Amino acid sequence: MSMTADVYDRRQDRRPWLKRLADASEPYLYSAPALILIIVVMLVPLVVGISYAFRDIQLLNPFSGGFIGLEHFETLSKDRAFYTALKNTLWWTGASVFLQFGFGLILALLLDKPFMGRGLVQALVFLPWAVPSFLAGLNWSWLFNPVIGPIPHWLFDLGLMSQPGNILSDPQYAMWGPIIANVWWGIPFFAITLLAALQSIPRDLYEAASIDGASWFQRFWSITLPFLAPTIAITVLLRTVWISNFADLIVVMTGGGPADRTQIVASYIFTQAFKALDFGYASAIALVLLVLLLAYSMLIILLRQTLLNKG
Amino acid sequence: MTQQIELSGVNKYYGAYHALRDINLSIPKGAFVALVGPSGCGKSTLLRSLAGLETISSGDLVIAGERMNDMPPRKRDLAMVFQSYALYPHMTVEQNLTYSLRIKGVKKAEAKKAAEEVAAITGLSDLLHRYPRELSGGQRQRVAMSRAIIRHPKAFLFDEPLSNLDAALRVHMRKEIRALHDRLGATSVYVTHDQVEAMTMADHVVIMRAGVIEQQGRPLDLYDRPANRFVAGFIGSPAMNFIPARTSDDGTSLILDLPGAPVLAMDLDLPPGHAVSVGIRPEHLSLATADMPGFNVPVAAIESTGAATFVTTETTPEIVLVLNGRSTVSAGETIHLTFEPKNIHVFDAGSDQRIEVGTVLTQAKTAS
Repeated sequence: MSMTADVYDRRQDRRPWLKRLADASEPYLYSAPALILIIVVMLVPLVVGISYAFRDIQLLNPFSGGFIGLEHFETLSKDRAFYTALKNTLWWTGASVFLQFGFGLILALLLDKPFMGRGLVQALVFLPWAVPSFLAGLNWSWLFNPVIGPIPHWLFDLGLMSQPGNILSDPQYAMWGPIIANVWWGIPFFAITLLAALQSIPRDLYEAASIDGASWFQRFWSITLPFLAPTIAITVLLRTVWISNFADLIVVMTGGGPADRTQIVASYIFTQAFKALDFGYASAIALVLLVLLLAYSMLIILLRQTLLNKG
Repeated sequence: MTQQIELSGVNKYYGAYHALRDINLSIPKGAFVALVGPSGCGKSTLLRSLAGLETISSGDLVIAGERMNDMPPRKRDLAMVFQSYALYPHMTVEQNLTYSLRIKGVKKAEAKKAAEEVAAITGLSDLLHRYPRELSGGQRQRVAMSRAIIRHPKAFLFDEPLSNLDAALRVHMRKEIRALHDRLGATSVYVTHDQVEAMTMADHVVIMRAGVIEQQGRPLDLYDRPANRFVAGFIGSPAMNFIPARTSDDGTSLILDLPGAPVLAMDLDLPPGHAVSVGIRPEHLSLATADMPGFNVPVAAIESTGAATFVTTETTPEIVLVLNGRSTVSAGETIHLTFEPKNIHVFDAGSDQRIEVGTVLTQAKTAS
C-alpha cells in the first residue's frame, strides 16, 4: 500500500529541487555526527599511521618524509631484534593470559561462595585493576630491586636464589618480572567478568547435579564450564589482544632489556618511535602487529562460530 | 512394612529462625506422601533436608535403614523433581536423562538404552535429541520426571512439580505421576501448596504450618476429623465455615453466635459459657423448605461454575455453601439453611484444638 503511494509520489513530484535535496539527504544528515566522529577520530589517524609505514619519517632528519615503498618491510624481514620481539610477545602474552585467567577463575570461584565480609573482600580484590599500569610497573620494579624491595631477599631465604639479585637484570628470568606484575594487575579483570557469569548460573542446576550424584569437580566440569565458555572465549580473546599490545609495564620495568630479553613487539615499536625517533619504521612494525592480531581475532571468531553452530 | 524414610525429632535453624520444629515422620516403602501447607510452612525445607540440600540442625534422618544426617546429596541415592525442573540447558533430553548414569560410569550404550526405555514410558521417545529450550512446559516436566525415574532411586522427591503447568495439564499430570508411582513401586515425597493435589495423589498427607506438623494421616481422615482449626480450614475447598459459639449455662448445648441459628444439644465436657468455634463445611450445608428445621440467612453473593453454585451469606461471620448444579437463589434473597448435626466440628476457641463431641441434635433456638 505504502509502496504504491511512494511510486505515485515520485512520478508526480512537484516539490522544489531544494526541498527534494533536503529530503533525500535527511538520513545522511542524521547519521553524519556519528560518522564524522568515527572518521576523524579513528579512520584518519589509522590511514595516516599506515601511510607512515611506507614513508621515511625520522624526527631528527628534516629531509625525511619521502615515499619509500616497501623498504621498511624489507628491513624488518631481516631485523633479528624484531623476530626476538615476536617470540617474546608470544611468551609474554601466553604466560600473562594463562596465569591471569587461571588465578582470575580461582578467585571468582572463591568469591562466588558466601562468607563473612565478602563485600569488603570483593572490593579489595578489584583494587589492582584501578592502579595505573605505570604505577604498578614502578611499584613492582622496586619490589624486585634488592636494594629497596623484599622479594629478592625472600627468594634468597627460600633458597630459590643463590644471592639476592634483581631478576629484572637477569637475562634468563627478566621476563618473569613484568609477567608477574601483569598477572597481579590483570587478575581482577578476569575475576570480575567470570564472577558475573558465575552468578548468572541458576543454583538449582547445581542442586540437581549434586542429587544426580555429581561431585564438586563433575559439577564444575559439566555445569560451570559450559556456562562460562562464552565468557571465557570473549575475555581471553580480548585480553590476548590487549596484553600483546600492552607495553607499559615492560617499558617502565625493564625498557626491553637486558639485551632485548624482555623486548616485545609493542615495546619495540615504542623504542623505535620514541628512542630511535624513527616513526616510519615503528609504523611498519605496528602495521605487521595489526595484521597479526587481526588474523588471530578472525581465527578466534571463526572458532567461536563453529563451536556455536555445533552446539 | 519397612520404613523407607524416618525422621525423628528433626529441627532446622537458620540462625535464630526455627524453620523445622521437632519433625517426626515415618514413610513406609512404596508410600506416596504429600507435604502440604501454606508458603513458608517449612515443607520445602523439609524436602530439601531429605535431599541433603539443607543440613538439619538436630534429630535423626534415616533413609533405608542408614543414618543420613551428614551424607552429601550425591550419596543419598534420592531423585528430585524441581519446581523449575532444573534441566541442564546445554544438554539434549537424552543427555539430561543419562547424566546421573554417565557419572556413575555406566557404559554409553547401556545409558542410551536406559534413556530410550524411560522415554518410552513417559512419551519422550521423539524428543530425545531436542534441547530443553525447544520443549513445551509439559514436555520439560516429563523430562524432569524421566531424569528421576531412570535412576531407580530409594525415593522420589517432588518439589511442587506441577505448579508451572496450566490447570488442565496439572490435573492430567496428577494422575500420571500417581500411576507412575504405582507402576514403579516407588516411594515418593511430594511437596505442594495445593491441598487438592495432596488429597487426590497421596496415601498419607502431612499438613505443616510454621515448621510444625499440624496433622498427618490418610487424606479422608484429615477431611473427616481435622485435629485443629488450621487443618480444618486448610483441607477442603471452599474452606470450612467457622461460627463462634459458647456452651449454654447448663453445659448441655452449644449456642451459635449467629442470629436464628439452632442450638446444638450434645454431650459436652466443658464448663458453661466456654467459647468454641463450630465448623461446618460448605458442602454440608443445604437449602431447606420453610417447614423443615433450619435458619434463615440473607444472601450476599452467588457464584456459579455450572456444575456447582457457591452461595455467600450476608452474615457475620459470612457463611459459604455449595449447592449442586444450578440454583435459582439470587443475591438479596433470604434462604432457609439446614445441616446434618453429625457433620459439625467443634474447636476450642483458645487452643484451636478439636473437641470430640458425642451425638449432636439440633433444636430450635430458645429465647435467651
